[in-house]
Amino acid sequence: MLASKAFELIKELSRGNSGSLSPYNEDCIRQVLDEMKSLYEQNQKDVSDTVAGETGLFSGVQVRHAALERNKRCLLTYLYKRLQIIQEMRWEFGSVLPMDIRYNMCEQEISWFNRYNKMLAVYMRSIGDSGLDLTQDMQPPKSLYIEVRCLKDHGEFETQDGNIIVLKRNNQHFLLRSECEHLIRQGVLEHVTN
Amino acid sequence: MTQDKIQSRVELTLYRMGFLDSSTDDKDIPPGSKLELPFWLAYALCSQKRRIVSVELPKAYRESYREVMKADANVVNLYKLGPYYYNFGMKLQCFSFPEIDDVSKCLLSTFQTRFRKIMDASQNIMNEDTSKLTSNLDEMEKALFKVGQKSLTDFQLWETRQVEKLKTSDMVRAHRKRKREDE
Amino acid sequence: MNSLNQQSFNDSNVDYDEDSEEEAEALTAAEVFAKLEEAWLNEKFSPELLEAKTEIVECIMDQIKVMEENLLKCKKDDMKICIHKMELDRIRFVLSSYLRIRLQKIQNYTAYYLNIENQRTDKQASLFSPEELKFAKEFHSSIDKHLTELAMQHMPSILQNLNDNLSGNKPDLDCYVFLRVNEDTDSVVIDEETTETGEETVDFQKDEQHIIRYQPIRHLVSSSQLTLI
Repeated sequence: MLASKAFELIKELSRGNSGSLSPYNEDCIRQVLDEMKSLYEQNQKDVSDTVAGETGLFSGVQVRHAALERNKRCLLTYLYKRLQIIQEMRWEFGSVLPMDIRYNMCEQEISWFNRYNKMLAVYMRSIGDSGLDLTQDMQPPKSLYIEVRCLKDHGEFETQDGNIIVLKRNNQHFLLRSECEHLIRQGVLEHVTN
Repeated sequence: MTQDKIQSRVELTLYRMGFLDSSTDDKDIPPGSKLELPFWLAYALCSQKRRIVSVELPKAYRESYREVMKADANVVNLYKLGPYYYNFGMKLQCFSFPEIDDVSKCLLSTFQTRFRKIMDASQNIMNEDTSKLTSNLDEMEKALFKVGQKSLTDFQLWETRQVEKLKTSDMVRAHRKRKREDE
Repeated sequence: MNSLNQQSFNDSNVDYDEDSEEEAEALTAAEVFAKLEEAWLNEKFSPELLEAKTEIVECIMDQIKVMEENLLKCKKDDMKICIHKMELDRIRFVLSSYLRIRLQKIQNYTAYYLNIENQRTDKQASLFSPEELKFAKEFHSSIDKHLTELAMQHMPSILQNLNDNLSGNKPDLDCYVFLRVNEDTDSVVIDEETTETGEETVDFQKDEQHIIRYQPIRHLVSSSQLTLI
């Protein structure tokens, strides 16, 4: 069926779940582009046949044109939606993505991610004179210090007042909320509440 | 949704398009043939300007089903009639079916009737299996139900002061969980 | 929260230019913060990007800086430090959240807002702050480039225009919002004239709360007659 490969791309998107990115389907994309190419060539041929006097080809041209538009739309949606996922991941995982996610991105997606990282950094630095890290303070603050437990060995960590503590699995610490929020979001620390 | 099939009748010969009809090996499709076309294609071929094919109103929106909806919309398995029943119904507005006004009225009243039940269930069911209930819902209703359930759990978290707890981001957690399962 | 604000920078008056108005109004820090809070709520609940409140943001950023400096000068074991730090955290949260929401909107409908910006006359205020505008342009061109490289340039030439695809995306102004009325406003048209019902209008009274379609009341949000809640 016409444009069915393109629709596969869309189905692939809707199957994806949070925290993952399906492998970039280069193969399928190439097939879509190939189909578009042959549809286009057939249309050109029919158009010139029509000019040469043949009649009745118009309806076929319409069918192919609709398929071309359909393919284009699906393909762009696929690429754009993936960028949106990647963009969301920048906020969730931070500026470095886990290896297995990077592995499923194509070269251009990785360079787009880097570019996005950069423009975001430039923007955040330009707020006021001193800049503002918008990836911090994701939730309304309730207290200055919080009790946290380490979920994994993380190594040394320098607190704002210059002390160095070692974050070891299962140890508990009492830290400034503002300085460990990032580590909680990335799953290194767990906020302990009673 | 735009991939949903729609029963169409060919009005003008489709030369060199035989592949659209799997039941024939002919090169061309003659007028009068019946085809199941995806919505996006039927839409392009059937408009005020050009009438290469004509389309029929899909069964689930015809009079007999509208009567069923009128009788008791709550018992209908909408998902079976089309996973995007409402949205697809709205898309059908672009074809000039004579009964299209009745279709839209029916969609609205169907939704109004069913909404009560969905809203009720989403606000009162906790820690119970809802899959039997949601299997009757079309995708839009499912999404609505999910929003309702989320607001309920959010409210409970707030009541028990658990919103104050800083959490690992959802994506990171989902990612980690999958990784553990892989190992 | 407000009382804390008053306490900490009660006598520090700051210069604050009320948008385009000529005379500089002097507001206390607490008043600026109240303005930020209002802008934050409106932004949070409105479906579209609202005018950038560049002055408020700058003002708050300056305040944060001053407070941080003051805190460094204080003695370490001063009980007041904790309270001030806490307050600082709260202000920073509201500000960050406000800017984050705006960034999200810009990213979702970049082409739509850039289009508005391009058609803007000098008299109209910009939706973007200068920094946001820079970001929006860069963001838009990066996506353009990506789609062109991976798809568009491999397509037949007649299909090689992106316009109708991404820029067709626009915010849903017909969604419903909750609002509180700040000042009496009579006969607001909330439904266009139809043959059956005629025009539908509503009188808003101060402190009333409503649920209503956003589109007909959007101009009242920007003129502060209403606050979204």
